[in-house]
Amino acid sequence: MSLRHIWAVTRKEVNHIVRDRSTLILVLFTPTLVLLLMAYALTVDLKNIPVAVLDFDRSQTSQAFIQQITAGQDLDIYAYATSMDEINAMLMRGQIKAAVIIAPGFARDLQALKGIPLQVIIDGTEPESGNFAVEHIVQRAEEFIDDALTKQLRAQGIVIESLQPLDLRVQTWYNPDLKPRNALIPGLISMVLGFPALSVALTLAHEREHGTLEQLLATPITRAELLLGKIVPYIIVGLFNVIIIPLLSIAWFHISLNGSFLLFFGLSAIFMFSVLGMGMIVGVFMRTQAAALALSFLVLFFPGFFMTGIFFPLASMPEEARLEAMFLPGTHYALVTRGIFLPGVGMDVLWPYAVMMLGLGVVFMALAALFFRKKLA
Amino acid sequence: MLKRIWSLVIKEFIHLRSDWWLPAFMLIGGAMELLGVAWATSRPITNLPMMVFDQSQTAESRAIIIGLENTKTFRTPEQVNDMQTIQDAMDRGQISAALVIPPDYAGQLQSSTGKPTLLVILNGSESTPAQAANRAVRGLARDIDQRILIGRLGLSPDQFSGFNPSLRVWFNENLSEALYTTPAELGMMLEFTVLLFAALAFSRERELGTIEQLLVMPFSSLEIIVGKSIPVVIIGFADFLLMLGMVHFAFDVPIRGSFILLLVLAFGYLLVELGKGLVISVMSKTQHQAFLLVLLVGMVDFMFTGYAAPVESMPQVLQWFANIIPAHHWLTILRGIALKDAGLDVLWPNVLALAILGIVIGTFSLQFVRKALD
Amino acid sequence: MPAIIETKNLIRDFKKTRAVDGLTLSIESGELFGLVGPDGAGKTTTLRLLAGLLDISEGDAAVLGFDLKEKAESIKPHIGYMAQQFSLYSELSVMENLQFFAELFDVESKDMAERTERLLTFAGLTEFKKRRAMNLSGGMQKKLALACTLIHEPQILLLDEPTTGVDPISRREFWNILTELHLRGTTIIVSTPYMDEADRCSRVGLMYAGKLVECDTPKNIREKLEGDVIEIQAGDWQKALETVSALGGVREAQTYGESIHLLVDSGERRLPEIERVLKKENLAYRSIRIAPARMEEAFISLIRKLEA
Repeated sequence: MSLRHIWAVTRKEVNHIVRDRSTLILVLFTPTLVLLLMAYALTVDLKNIPVAVLDFDRSQTSQAFIQQITAGQDLDIYAYATSMDEINAMLMRGQIKAAVIIAPGFARDLQALKGIPLQVIIDGTEPESGNFAVEHIVQRAEEFIDDALTKQLRAQGIVIESLQPLDLRVQTWYNPDLKPRNALIPGLISMVLGFPALSVALTLAHEREHGTLEQLLATPITRAELLLGKIVPYIIVGLFNVIIIPLLSIAWFHISLNGSFLLFFGLSAIFMFSVLGMGMIVGVFMRTQAAALALSFLVLFFPGFFMTGIFFPLASMPEEARLEAMFLPGTHYALVTRGIFLPGVGMDVLWPYAVMMLGLGVVFMALAALFFRKKLA
Repeated sequence: MLKRIWSLVIKEFIHLRSDWWLPAFMLIGGAMELLGVAWATSRPITNLPMMVFDQSQTAESRAIIIGLENTKTFRTPEQVNDMQTIQDAMDRGQISAALVIPPDYAGQLQSSTGKPTLLVILNGSESTPAQAANRAVRGLARDIDQRILIGRLGLSPDQFSGFNPSLRVWFNENLSEALYTTPAELGMMLEFTVLLFAALAFSRERELGTIEQLLVMPFSSLEIIVGKSIPVVIIGFADFLLMLGMVHFAFDVPIRGSFILLLVLAFGYLLVELGKGLVISVMSKTQHQAFLLVLLVGMVDFMFTGYAAPVESMPQVLQWFANIIPAHHWLTILRGIALKDAGLDVLWPNVLALAILGIVIGTFSLQFVRKALD
Repeated sequence: MPAIIETKNLIRDFKKTRAVDGLTLSIESGELFGLVGPDGAGKTTTLRLLAGLLDISEGDAAVLGFDLKEKAESIKPHIGYMAQQFSLYSELSVMENLQFFAELFDVESKDMAERTERLLTFAGLTEFKKRRAMNLSGGMQKKLALACTLIHEPQILLLDEPTTGVDPISRREFWNILTELHLRGTTIIVSTPYMDEADRCSRVGLMYAGKLVECDTPKNIREKLEGDVIEIQAGDWQKALETVSALGGVREAQTYGESIHLLVDSGERRLPEIERVLKKENLAYRSIRIAPARMEEAFISLIRKLEA
């Protein structure tokens, strides 16, 4: 293995990228741009969910009830409906995400301590808002009922300290307010740092399409040297982003990097090697850049987005899917970023992921070198 | 003129045939991928790993553990004997939640004035599972509360069965996760497919130097544009049908509204994305550059399809911005027609927006591309 | 002495065609071997096979004693291959391209500067060394490509149509370089569509439809030509051409600018006949003579025979 050969290829690749200004900027900054945009947009603090209320009871009690439910920022009353048809229409048009329907005997049933029928209708096409609305309504309703009940019981001479005898203490570690953004950003970082792999998939096909591969193959360069030389520039691109993304995230989004930055950097370098190796093996098979792009979207991008546990937890995937996800470097790296940012763990915890990523990287590069033959056809 | 366009289209398809990987991947690969992704991730949050530190070891504490299992949100909780294990597992991200049951739990529970406590620890580094765990645990706590109350007050279950909200879910009665997520996944893959294909249209010829050949031929720029666009539209539309069929048959995603309307609007949407792709394709000197632009644009658009978060919850600025993103309107239309049986009467604002965007993007791209070609 | 390049019944198949069909060739060290033939004859494929760039379908080939089926990589440090299409990096400069290949061929650092300067001078590219390859003229690009194949001073050169599309002056300069290399003992295989270049080689191989149909010195090939060449410089050459082509014994007629070359079965017999016809038709001519046979005629007539 000649370092001289690898370095010659790397230098050539770097020159190639650097001389095309617009591509250079895109390659360097796309991961960061996408991350900043997504983090900004997906900082979902659900609030102001529009709901409608249909009150068949129209008693003081029901009115007080409605007040209680809609107090605060979480829910907004979009309209007081007067019929089911109206509710239908509003749901159809997406003007409301949920509706609360109070049955005629509400106040009376409440008085009699009977089961209180309350209908909540949610728009099933929007999970987040719907579920959120339901929980919020249910919670507030319970408080309301509890109050009423306590008063009732006191009136009957029964004294109860609290209607919630169970003291449930909930601690949220690493992210006390359970802000989704804090949890999401490390995951997003792991996703965007996989983008350079898509560029790597192109590089061999580029030489083929432009005809430069022919002269290259006529030299003594070995396959491994060629492939390694080609991924080094993109490792650098990745590491560049590894530095600026946390800086920007901390500055703008105030998330904290509780672990060691040096460790993060080192593990990120291993990830870059691994994911770029995957990009390379995709690129080895394709003769044209267009085909390489299409394949890399299918094999690198979409799985990296959907299957690495960033948006949907690995635990809830079917067994086979989880197994497949293990072969994606992104899955392991997502666990690394998650561990380093919020919990702030160290190498003693993260070493298995480092090993996995390194192993995958070596296997991918070896397979790429094996499948890439120094022949034109 | 039509004949010339036709000959261009034929040339494009012949070209595609020798490079058949490209449409094959896009069509079949895309559909298979959607299938795989939907199968893996369009599910309720279940099977979350959890630990229990049961310091009470009584029938009552065991009842809680069984209750947790029954929620289906958690897999069988692992029983541990100290906090350190929990700490480690949390740090490593191996569990989504942990429950600590104090030694005096059973006693407090049974005493009429007792205050039983439970400690739940949520792993905040992953918000979706944490939220699901939170919900499940609170639900369990409510049940326990009610049972305690009924016992202490000596009420019979009929007298006070607690609070009974009945929940009706419209458009998605089975609360099938697939109905939430697959439309957005479909939208994303379709957009990327069309954008990528269109973006490669001219950038490829430019990069390889064959564009001069194209320009000296007796075709007007309009004819060239149309000739290049037709294969993209055909493949994009075929892709849409394939993916729609797939989610319909594999995941029971219904098409409750007018199928014809859906097809027409889908076609319109494709044209809009085609326009965007063509602009990218003419702006780019190389395929690499075109692809990077597609990535950027696609990711930005994807945010507004509502996959990861509803648009209403975004900062106001972004909500306004969403209105000029074609994908946003398209997803509303797709969900509306498929799931809500919505018609034009309901969807017209989105259709109008899409049409306006289409005209604006279309005119701009046509001008831009023509100028670039001349 | 064993041949430096040796093939036996070499065959290369592509999906639907057999590009090289049983090629048996033996090239001595220090030869300047010309490979000619019409388009699609298999010249490029042959060169690629010998450079180790393509797999061999059947048969054997050895370069410098290395079996190309097993040890193709071993020959690479010792050969210089120049592709037919421009295969260097357009956005890199002349110097950068040269340095790149120098590094890949493990040219010693101490030799680098001196060799690159020498080659640039050799190729007439010194003043362009900072220019990007895409901004060079066709001729300069070819010269750069040649320089990149020479940077490691290989024993064998395999050049695929190195002068096609190059202006006549550059072409001549190119051949000066090749001649010098030949004199220094480099073995060179060069494929060319130009017959005058074929004439300058030690031996010429004619390929047709994947086969080697002729392999001999230029002199022998010319002498193998059946018949003689009559050259006519006529005034109204179009009319003259029409008239004489139809005469008996005239196998072929070609125009070169305004002179006509006829391939006849016997020069002695036909020349007076033709002269008579020209005079009869009142066609003025400046000269008529039996001209020495050239590779061009030999080549064309051979091809015509094969096509028949």
